[in-house]
Amino acid sequence: MDEGGRKQELKRRQEDFAVSANQFEARSLETFDASATTMFKTRAATFLPSFRLYSTSQPTKPSIKLVAELRKLTEVSLSKAREALVASNNDVDAALKWLQEDLEVSGAKKAAKLEGRTTNEGLIGMSVLSSGVGSRTGRGSGGVRAAMVELNCETDFVARNDLFGKLLADIAHTAAYISEPADSVNLLKPCSLELLQEAPLLSQNGEQAETQSTVASAIRELVTKVGEKISLRRAATVVQDPLPRELGLRVASYSHGSVNIPSQGRIGALALIALKSPKLAELLASEPFREELIKLERSLARQIVGFSTTTIQSAAGATDEGALYQQPFMMYPDSNGDSVQATIRRWAEERGLREAGEVESGLEVLEFAKWTVGEPLESS
Amino acid sequence: MNIGTIGHVDHGKTTLTAAITKVLSERGGAKFTDYAEIDKAPEEKARGITINSSHVEYETDNRHYGHIDCPGHADYIKNMITGAAQMDGGIIVVSATDGQMPQTREHLLLARQIGVKKLVVFINKVDVITDPEMLELVDMEMRDLLTTYNFDGENTPVIMGSALSALEGKNPEIGVDKINELVKACDEWLDLPPRDLEKPFILSIEDVFTVPGRGTVVVGRAERGVCRKGDEVEILGYGTKLKTTLTGIEMFHKELERAEAGDNMGALLRGIKKEQIRRGQVIIAPGSMKSVKKFQAQLYILTKDEGGRYTPFMQHYRPQLFLRTADITIGLSWPEGTADADDKMVMPGDNVEMVCSPVHDVALEPGMRFTLREGGKTVGTGIVTKVLEYV
Ligand SMILES: Nc1nc2c(ncn2[C@@H]2O[C@H](COP(=O)(O)OP(=O)(O)OP(=O)(O)O)[C@@H](O)[C@H]2O)c(=O)[nH]1
Ligand SMILES: [Mg+2]
Repeated sequence: MDEGGRKQELKRRQEDFAVSANQFEARSLETFDASATTMFKTRAATFLPSFRLYSTSQPTKPSIKLVAELRKLTEVSLSKAREALVASNNDVDAALKWLQEDLEVSGAKKAAKLEGRTTNEGLIGMSVLSSGVGSRTGRGSGGVRAAMVELNCETDFVARNDLFGKLLADIAHTAAYISEPADSVNLLKPCSLELLQEAPLLSQNGEQAETQSTVASAIRELVTKVGEKISLRRAATVVQDPLPRELGLRVASYSHGSVNIPSQGRIGALALIALKSPKLAELLASEPFREELIKLERSLARQIVGFSTTTIQSAAGATDEGALYQQPFMMYPDSNGDSVQATIRRWAEERGLREAGEVESGLEVLEFAKWTVGEPLESS
Repeated sequence: MNIGTIGHVDHGKTTLTAAITKVLSERGGAKFTDYAEIDKAPEEKARGITINSSHVEYETDNRHYGHIDCPGHADYIKNMITGAAQMDGGIIVVSATDGQMPQTREHLLLARQIGVKKLVVFINKVDVITDPEMLELVDMEMRDLLTTYNFDGENTPVIMGSALSALEGKNPEIGVDKINELVKACDEWLDLPPRDLEKPFILSIEDVFTVPGRGTVVVGRAERGVCRKGDEVEILGYGTKLKTTLTGIEMFHKELERAEAGDNMGALLRGIKKEQIRRGQVIIAPGSMKSVKKFQAQLYILTKDEGGRYTPFMQHYRPQLFLRTADITIGLSWPEGTADADDKMVMPGDNVEMVCSPVHDVALEPGMRFTLREGGKTVGTGIVTKVLEYV
């Protein structure tokens, strides 16, 4: 696909998802969404008229009051706020527009200046748009759609700031949206950073920004605000359409050490879980079964993060601390000291997902990815 | 006392630190530590825990300061909890060209979290500012923000100058003069932590004997304060609250009239039986402390490389609390209102704030440090942040 074609395709896909996004938001984020929008609107309503009042009084020099207001509204640096007001003759609306346009240029300039810096702090962010078979959110059809993203900055202070967390949430959301089903053996696959950088940034709480910012320009915008280098380090996604009836996929996620947003932390894991049983549809229809499944998934994701998990299954006969299935399942309250493998087998049998001794059906962890902020990347 | 520079990258923390040592070295109060030296401080090791902040010392007319150039990585909280890098006050550095940044809030939150009550603001890089009104705005915004985060924004000293000018010996009116002003503001505004001798007396009990013909003698170390023969004292902890009189003080087999912080002493107690005393209790100046059943603390959980645990734990974990000579089993739980408390885990390397419930009451106050042990090894260190329940 050529450059233009890819962008068009991206845009088309974005519009496709917008419909389901609205349904998704309407269900789970109803309250948050509404209050955030009203807050934004009332803020704009109280600030904007006062800008116009001031804007006529001092035509040449930037008004200190306006600089203060502009900073409150946009969090840009003092010198930038001044520049904007001088350029737009102390008209705040115009200054806001000027800033928006300038961000592209000055953001790129600032980013270039910070190029040589190292970014070892930051957060891992997760977005699960559809957790798979039996889920009642997202497209509702039981597919899997999720992403994990690492965004880095220079200091832990910036990593803890709301603006950073919000940007990461939006990027993870965008990554989950724009990805296509994997055509490889691995369902969990790296997401092209190039593609992601160019993608229009989708706000995770549905409130579409008026401007058409891309992931890259949103990052540059934050760079100008916090004055630190910010880099998008890696992204992975898993997207899978629903499977035939007796097969189901689920995605489990956990992030450890979150500050403001629970789906972000210093360590994160996404795990893919497969369910197989002739009785699957019937079992998933039961609320208690779904609840227990979610509980088991949470424990699996925590186990992966909490222990030094590197693989799912150790080579036959070998004892490997990093093998998930051979670890004592400490993160599952009812494991009775059994291994992860023994516990999930028992779980599947006790719930009728699998007949005792049978091997064809049951529940398995297929793949997982576990990331720690700033860890060295495996050369690929 | 210990102070530190906190601020945004590039706003001039290191330059300011170097400038302070330069200006004070000219007065004979410091060894000039060049910018490059501060920035290239080797990793220090303290108590087996790595700290990554550079440390310089200097003296003003009235005080001795240890100064930390606070780094931006996440280890700082751990350093504060473990006591590897303590801060009693801080200088917050803000560049006049940018003004406060979004993350300045996080700087103030950190200062609060580690118990810093007062800050001095240094607005740096005024050499490149042409419009004095803008400096007023930076000043005003900083005071607002300080107030929002429960600092005294109105009275906090705000000094405007240029660290670079001071370091390069240029424009003394914004350079060296302002550094002197800053140092003076630190001397006057930041509170010295009370010295050990000025605090109320505490002796942590290590052992107890009966000396025939004399009575019960407890042995221990005076942690702080001063005691005199004949003083009224109180014994606290492990379900005990007794008043008695200190009828004798002994050190190195000599009878003394007085003992003070740092002394290992024997104390003769009137009318107290050996059975009433146990290791881990304290002898204090009456009413100066209360015994606590439940408190909140900032904890740092050691990594396996630091000799700590290999695995995570959940709430209701029960390690041993070692505080002074006390060794008590405690239960750890999440503060009320914590979401998903039951499956929230704590991993080695985490900094967390948790509720601690010792099985016996123990005398403590906010700011006291302790360690957590399990099976004879240290698994965490902590600092008391809040008392939740007295006996
Ligand atoms: N014009 C001007 N530049 C200054 C002043 N103080 C520091 N600078 C410059 O600002 C830059 C950053 O200063 P540093 O002292 O390294 O800043 P820092 O806060 O220690 O930065 P990090 O260690 O990266 O967090 C350097 O190029 C300094 O020369 C000043 O008063 N005026
Ligand atoms: Mg520095």
